Amino acid sequence: MDILQINQTSDYKKAGPLQAHFNPYSYNGGTVLAIAGENFSVIASDTRLSEGFSIHTRENPKTYKLTDTTVLGACGFHGDVLTLTKVLDARLKIYEQDHHKQMTTGAVAAMLSTMLYHRRFFPYYVYNIVAGLDDEGKGCVYSFDPVGSYEREAYRAGGSASAMLQPLLDNQIGFKNQQGVTRIPLSREKAVNLVKDVFISAAERDIYTGDSILINVITKDGVTDERFPLRRD
Amino acid sequence: MFLTRSEYDRGVNTFSPEGRLFQVEYAIEAIKLGSTAIGIQTNEGVVLAVEKRVTSPLIEPSSIEKILEVDNHIGCAMSGLIADSRTLIDKARVEAQNHWFTFNEKMSVESVTQAVSNIALQFGDDDADPGVMSRPFGVALLFAGIDDKGPQLYHIDPSGTFIQYDAKAIGSGSEGAQQALQEVYHKSITLKEACKASLTILKQVMEEKLNSTNVEMATVTPEKMFHVCTKEELEEVIKDI
Amino acid sequence: MATAPLFRTEFWRNGPQPGSIYNFPGGKTKPDLNPMKRTMNPTVTGTSVLGLKFKDGVVISADKLGSYGSLARYRDLTRVMKINDTTILGSSGDYADFQFLTNLIQERVIEEECLNDGFGYTPLRLFSWLTRVLYNRRSNFNPLWNTYIVGGLQDGEPFLGYVDKIGTAYQAPTVASGYGAYIAQPLLREAFENNPNMSLEEAAKTIDRCMKILFYRDARSLNKYDLAIVTKDGVEIKSSIVSETNWEISDFVKGYE
Repeated sequence: MDILQINQTSDYKKAGPLQAHFNPYSYNGGTVLAIAGENFSVIASDTRLSEGFSIHTRENPKTYKLTDTTVLGACGFHGDVLTLTKVLDARLKIYEQDHHKQMTTGAVAAMLSTMLYHRRFFPYYVYNIVAGLDDEGKGCVYSFDPVGSYEREAYRAGGSASAMLQPLLDNQIGFKNQQGVTRIPLSREKAVNLVKDVFISAAERDIYTGDSILINVITKDGVTDERFPLRRD
Repeated sequence: MFLTRSEYDRGVNTFSPEGRLFQVEYAIEAIKLGSTAIGIQTNEGVVLAVEKRVTSPLIEPSSIEKILEVDNHIGCAMSGLIADSRTLIDKARVEAQNHWFTFNEKMSVESVTQAVSNIALQFGDDDADPGVMSRPFGVALLFAGIDDKGPQLYHIDPSGTFIQYDAKAIGSGSEGAQQALQEVYHKSITLKEACKASLTILKQVMEEKLNSTNVEMATVTPEKMFHVCTKEELEEVIKDI
Repeated sequence: MATAPLFRTEFWRNGPQPGSIYNFPGGKTKPDLNPMKRTMNPTVTGTSVLGLKFKDGVVISADKLGSYGSLARYRDLTRVMKINDTTILGSSGDYADFQFLTNLIQERVIEEECLNDGFGYTPLRLFSWLTRVLYNRRSNFNPLWNTYIVGGLQDGEPFLGYVDKIGTAYQAPTVASGYGAYIAQPLLREAFENNPNMSLEEAAKTIDRCMKILFYRDARSLNKYDLAIVTKDGVEIKSSIVSETNWEISDFVKGYE
């Protein structure tokens, strides 16, 4: 936090009460996870909102429905998440009015990337994952870093427990480190069950993941909601 | 013709008591002095054709460009004060690229036309966008392109009004040409027929004898996207007329 | 609080800390920047604010102490306010910033009332507006050093929200700021989960118990507090409630004297 610190290397030190330094960021935890299937995609997040060793609320899902076929998962600093999702919603509405159509998932992802990069030197401290259907109706997942670097992937975990979830997904969906395995395409049921399993494991070890998960499944018929309880300690 | 209007045609943004903006109407008249341009939309693609006025044998005909590329999938033909079109085409090109940059997708023909119409209307504005002038633009444009909705043709005039057409003629021969288009156009017209029809009609309304150097033709098709016809391709069509 | 970063506190691998500048490899290690002139610190502060939903409305409480560092400087400050008949607000943190915002809100409330068009601040509107104000101030590195608790009736339903100085905001049936988040929040949650449809009396009793425990444990608190109540009948602010305390066992605490 170099730029925010008062330079105290002068000849005398300032007397008086201790300076409280202002940090414009905070970390509110949360984990999101998205998987692209053949004609669906699944995106899930836990519902815990924390700060330090406190839980702000147990009822704060981190997925945001953007269009009929696009859902965003966003976690990190909650103030930035609120602002980013609000600006996104406005941009989506303006696009719809300007071009008389809903944005495709690919367009949402491209736009989000430019929005994040525009704040390159005062970034939105947000880890984003966009899930939805592509132009051919296939499931698609895009993952981002906080300054807008992004790519399309088959599956991705983001947020506080991402380092725990990602290797599990690599093994179970990417068939990494498995030998002589038959690569059967992932069914919707298996994807949802896998999401529940990996979140249960994450909640065991990560204090910023827990309380419950919200699972969104995106198909051409729309977005479904499912809640699943996690440990609340 | 305009004698009675002299009082209300000074300010570009002053309505006459009858509710008309004369400067805009004059600008629309100016288009009718321009060379003829034709656009026809078919199910296979869109064709644009314009007449080049090669008024002197010393003119280099290829330096007269009246059909321009806006993006891979959109072309534009013009008639009127060609110099005025530069800022409009620039705007269309920038908007198309900006859309691609932000959304990673092709901008629709309608949206490009809308963007151009926005600056066409800003004349006389004190704090308008860059490129806007103190008078209406003296040029009419035909935007031809392909997007999610298929092949599309749009016309935009100096008042900023833009309308989609199956077939449209602009410029000095537009009245006769439009009449001819109405007779020849049908919903299942092929692109080849449309190319031939556009040159046939141009030939009828042009003062000079039509040949491969005094016309320009371009197509926008799913296969080739925006494509300006070569001299050989033009001659291939002209020989059947 | 833990001083070591618990989880990802950098933007990407080997990246900068949030709020700092990325240093290109091989370049200077520290950016040569002047210190922020607007770095500020709270002066007179108020401690925890508690909020609790009950069957017919919402209660918000805050004690009356204004601390100057560790000095108990003012003993009769009000940190809850009535916005209108359906909305109340409580604040912890810098008292001057709270007064500034109070003036701003009251100005706007009067302006809206003058229009007499039936529109005014609802809890949700105030909450959303406050979130934007606080977030914009933090983005300009000029924060309002407060945590605000907004309560009221939104379309007849109880509403309770939390916004802090960097724009973190959420709604919940129980909220607490400052030390209250550690000490009172678990008690409030337990009380709410056992009885989500408390009466006003039960809610006030729960709050009183929490305020008393906070007074016992929080060195920057006072056993005199205000309680703001919103129900469909309007807003009532009960001022200067004194919790009865009992120090009999203090003789058994080693080192207490």
